[in-house]
Amino acid sequence: MNWQAIFLSLKLAVCVAAILVAVGMPLAYWVTYSEWRFKFLVEAIVALPIVLPPTVLGYYILVGLGPRHFAGKIWQSVFGHTLPFTFGGLLVASVIYSLPFAVQPFSAGFESVDRRVIEAAWTLGASRLSTFFRVILPLSVAGAVTGVVLSFAHTIGEFGVVLMVGGNIPGVTRTVSIDIYDQVQAANYDSANQTAVVLLLFSFVVLALIYGTNRRALRFK
Amino acid sequence: MSLAVAIEKNVGGFRLAVEFAAGKAPLGLLGPSGSGKSMTLRAIAGLETPDRGRIVLNGTVLFDSGRKINLPARERRIGLLFQNYALFPHLNVSENIAFGLRDLPDADRKRRVAEQISAAHLFGLAERYPSTLSGGEQQRVALARALAIEPAALLLDEPFSALDTHLRGALERQLRETLGTFRGSTLFVSHNLEEAYRVCEKIVVLANGKVAAQGPKEEIFRHPPTMEVARVTGCKNYSRAHQLPDGCIEALDWGCKLVVGQEFAKSPEHVAIRAHHIRVHPPQYLNGGNNRQNIFPCQLVAMTETPFRVTLDLRIGSAPADSRGFHVQAEVFKQEWEMFRELPQPWTVELAADRLFLLPD
Repeated sequence: MNWQAIFLSLKLAVCVAAILVAVGMPLAYWVTYSEWRFKFLVEAIVALPIVLPPTVLGYYILVGLGPRHFAGKIWQSVFGHTLPFTFGGLLVASVIYSLPFAVQPFSAGFESVDRRVIEAAWTLGASRLSTFFRVILPLSVAGAVTGVVLSFAHTIGEFGVVLMVGGNIPGVTRTVSIDIYDQVQAANYDSANQTAVVLLLFSFVVLALIYGTNRRALRFK
Repeated sequence: MSLAVAIEKNVGGFRLAVEFAAGKAPLGLLGPSGSGKSMTLRAIAGLETPDRGRIVLNGTVLFDSGRKINLPARERRIGLLFQNYALFPHLNVSENIAFGLRDLPDADRKRRVAEQISAAHLFGLAERYPSTLSGGEQQRVALARALAIEPAALLLDEPFSALDTHLRGALERQLRETLGTFRGSTLFVSHNLEEAYRVCEKIVVLANGKVAAQGPKEEIFRHPPTMEVARVTGCKNYSRAHQLPDGCIEALDWGCKLVVGQEFAKSPEHVAIRAHHIRVHPPQYLNGGNNRQNIFPCQLVAMTETPFRVTLDLRIGSAPADSRGFHVQAEVFKQEWEMFRELPQPWTVELAADRLFLLPD
């Protein structure tokens, strides 16, 4: 059993979920409430990772973050190294790859909040930010939890993007899914099985805990 | 205490252009659905931005398109009671009431919430969540929440429409009491004319996004200036009218000639009368030799009974009512009706001259 790969996968998934809360919430808020006429273009771009094969996405991220391209150059000049084949690169790629799995449930949650309840908060003197934290977020807990869970689970399970962008460096970019693939390639079925079982149990417990909590959060509806 | 509103807004094919002012006494905005009442209220609260105009509350400019002033809703200090109350479902009653009091010190906030709970008779409900409250309780919580911020104006959007009829009476009385002690301007939106009449002193009648009439309520109900206002204030009987050389009016749709009690500058296009102003008498009344005017034979076409009144669909003229059409609808008390219901037709109908509305449009 490869504990190193398991911890790496967990670390990656926690970081991705955390970043997606910070980035995805404002984006989902904008998608839900903006009246911009070209909003559908942004929605389409956010949803792209759902339809694109991970290899296509991985290829563009690999090239885009590489030293020959604009974004890659900026990164290199700031941090002194390039992103591909590092944990940072894996993180950026995973965030992009899981973006729709966070933004869409967040947005669905916000949309389920009665518009008049939001307006009531405004007339009672609450700012938009305060209305978000005191009214919108508590009333869309289910959507928020679903978004976090999906991005977490999606990151644990991803394979193609990781292989394209991260490669297979033990302790840096070798995640559980790649480790299991490696073990199977090397005919180490016992090791692959152990790792797979740990991952399976952990995922099930996390999901069960979260859906259990979610049910209680739904009691107002 | 004053609220002056003069706004215009185009939405789709609908055009809202209203101008009115409210003082201390509750002002009723009366109109059918789709007449622009709710949109007007939302514009005042800052939830809707007018295309042009001005909204001034106690000397503070809330909106002025010319000077590019548009205060956000949260800075307007306007209490809005939503039609469905819009309580926060995740907060209990006292948290709902305290929502707008965040900036107050703890002790003040608690005192304010306690005051509102006692004023709204919500004792024992402080810890309850909105979904466990009855419609009437929810309405009182919403009103308490709006009043807790001590607003400069209170806007009520059809506050009774979501309630069962038997609850309305008591809640309306309580609302009138509350409004009596409220020291700001009140706007009361309703499509129910009797409710608006009971709660408000002055009334603005809206129709198709425009002010069709405004003034003291008695005035508007006694002399509706246009067809639209007559209709909104509940008048059911209309006829095209034609002025005759002798000063009388010919009611073309009713087939009768009417003496009118009032002077009119412009020849009226329509004549109208309220259903409960029409008197129905036994047959002999016609030949009684009294000098009442506008008394005609009539035939009963149909009737509708309610517990205390009957509505009679009448056809004016002595010929039997062969067609299903009727000319006027009269509303009479049951005990009056008992006096002539068994008597042979035609009965007589009286359209008293001083009850007729002569409408210029």
